Amino acid sequence: MSALLKNKEFEAASDFQLDGQADQHDEFHLDSPTTEDDTSNHAQTELFLPEYDPESPVDTGQLELKGLEKPIFNLAIEGHKDGLQFHYAHNLLESLEAQGVQIAYQCRDGYCGSCRTDLIEGEVAYLEEPMAWINEGEILPCCCVPKTALKLKLKS
Amino acid sequence: MAYKTFNRKQFDTFSQPMFFGENVNVSRYDTQKYKIFEQLIEKQLSFFWRPEEVDLSNDRKDFAGLPEHEKHIFLSNLKYQTLLDSIQGRSPNVALLPIVSLPELETWIETWSFSETIHSRSYTHIIRNVISDPASVFDDIITNDYITKRAESVTQYYDDLIEAVTYYQNLGEGEHSVNGKTINITLRDLKKKLYLTVASVNVLEAIRFYVSFACSFAFAERATMEGNAKIIKLIARDEALHLTGTQHMMQIWSLGKDDPVMGEIAKECKAEVIEIFREAAIQEKEWAEYLFKDGSMIGLNKDILCQYVEYITNQRLNAIGLEPLFSTRQNPLPWINAWLVSDNVQVAPQEAEISSYLVGAIDSEVSLEDFSDISL
Repeated sequence: MSALLKNKEFEAASDFQLDGQADQHDEFHLDSPTTEDDTSNHAQTELFLPEYDPESPVDTGQLELKGLEKPIFNLAIEGHKDGLQFHYAHNLLESLEAQGVQIAYQCRDGYCGSCRTDLIEGEVAYLEEPMAWINEGEILPCCCVPKTALKLKLKS
Repeated sequence: MAYKTFNRKQFDTFSQPMFFGENVNVSRYDTQKYKIFEQLIEKQLSFFWRPEEVDLSNDRKDFAGLPEHEKHIFLSNLKYQTLLDSIQGRSPNVALLPIVSLPELETWIETWSFSETIHSRSYTHIIRNVISDPASVFDDIITNDYITKRAESVTQYYDDLIEAVTYYQNLGEGEHSVNGKTINITLRDLKKKLYLTVASVNVLEAIRFYVSFACSFAFAERATMEGNAKIIKLIARDEALHLTGTQHMMQIWSLGKDDPVMGEIAKECKAEVIEIFREAAIQEKEWAEYLFKDGSMIGLNKDILCQYVEYITNQRLNAIGLEPLFSTRQNPLPWINAWLVSDNVQVAPQEAEISSYLVGAIDSEVSLEDFSDISL
C-alpha cells in the first residue's frame, strides 16, 4: 500500500483522492431529472412489505390447497400389519419401504418391473409412463402414487 | 423368400406382425406399431457408458491379495460373463434381424446387441487390468468343460432358428432335400423356434446373468474388487432393460393380437418354456458347485447361491405369467438390491473415476525445455 502511494506517477494524478470522494464536477448529475407531475410516482415510492418475514420464511414443505384434502391414503397389504398409509412420498414404493414393507426392486425407474405388485382394490396414477410389462391388475409401485385407498397383494 | 435389404413392396407397416412379415424397408420411427421398443431404444441410448470410464487400478491390487480359491471364483465368473455377452453381442442380430418386420423393433434389436458389445469390451478391460496374461483367461473359455457345457444350452435355440431361417430364405416352405438330408420347413415350425429362442434369451438375461452379478457384487460387498462391481452395476442396468425388451416380445405374442399363430404357440409351449427355466436353474446350481469347489467366500457359498437361483427363477417365471417352480420365497441375498439399483449409478463426468475426463483436462507432460527461460 505504502509502496503504491510513493509512486510518483500516482501522486501526479491530483484529482484522485483515495480516502474520500472524487472532486465534484458540476456537469455531472447522477440523479435522474424530476418530472413535473409527482403524483404518478406514488405507487412506486410506497413500501409494500409482506406480512411474513422474507428473511426467514416458514417452510412447511407442503402446499396448502384450499378445498382439497391432503393426499393421505390408507393402504392394506395382504398378510401385513394394518395401519399402513401413503404419506407425502415421491412414490408408493418409497412410502411402503418407509413403513417397513419389503418389496423387490431394481431400477426404481419403471423399466425393470422388479417391483410388480397386484392391485386388488383402488386406483393409482403414474408419475411417469412405466416401461416394464404390466399385466392386468398389476402396478409398479416405483413410479406411481395412489389416487384412492389401495388394497395390494405382494408377489410371491 | 430371400432377404431383401430394402424391400421395394408397398405395404401397411401397422398390419405387419413383429416377425415373419414383410422385410423392413424404410427405417422410420414417426409412426410405430409398438412404441415401447422406441422407448427402450431411447432409454438404452441414455444409458451409454464406456468401460474406460471406470478406474480399475485398485482392483489389480485387490486381486493380487485374494486367496487362490477366491481368484478361481472371480475369474470363472468373469469367463462366464464373457461367454454370455459374446453370444448376446451377435446372436440377436444374426438370428432376429433377417426375420423382423417392424422398423422400431429392428432398431431395438440392433441397439440391444450393440450394448452387449460394450459389455464384452468391459470384460477385456477388467481382465487386462487385473491380470498380466489375459490370453490364459480368454483361451480357457472354449476349453473349460464347465463353461462349454453351458454355452451349448445357451446357443442351441439360436443355432436351430438360424439354420431353419436360412433354409426358409433359400428354399421356402415345404419338403426339401439338402445334401441327401430331407428337411421339412413350415412357417409354423419356424415361429415355434423363434418363440423358444426368445424364451431362452429371456432365461439367459433373467437368470444366468443375475447369478454372475451376485458373485461380482459379493466381492464388492466386502470392499474388494469395487471397480469391477461398478462396471457390473452398469451392465446390470443395461440387462434389466434388455430383459424388459424380451418380456414385452413374449407378452405381446401371448396376447395373440400381433400374430394369432404366435398366440397359439405361446400357449402350446408353456411346458417347454418352464422346462427351459428348470434346465437353466439346474445348470446354474451345478455352476455354483464348480465355483465354490475349493472353498466359499465370506458372504456367499454354494447353498446361498443355489437359493438365489431358485428365488430369481420364481420371480422371472412370475413376470411372464407362469407358475413358480421352487419353494424359495425370500431373497437369500437381500443386499444385492442395493447393488442392482440403478438410480444411483454415477454418470457425471466430474466424478473422479472417469479418467478420460481428468486426463483430457490438464497436460501434465513436463520436459527440460519448459524450464529453459528460467534463471535464478
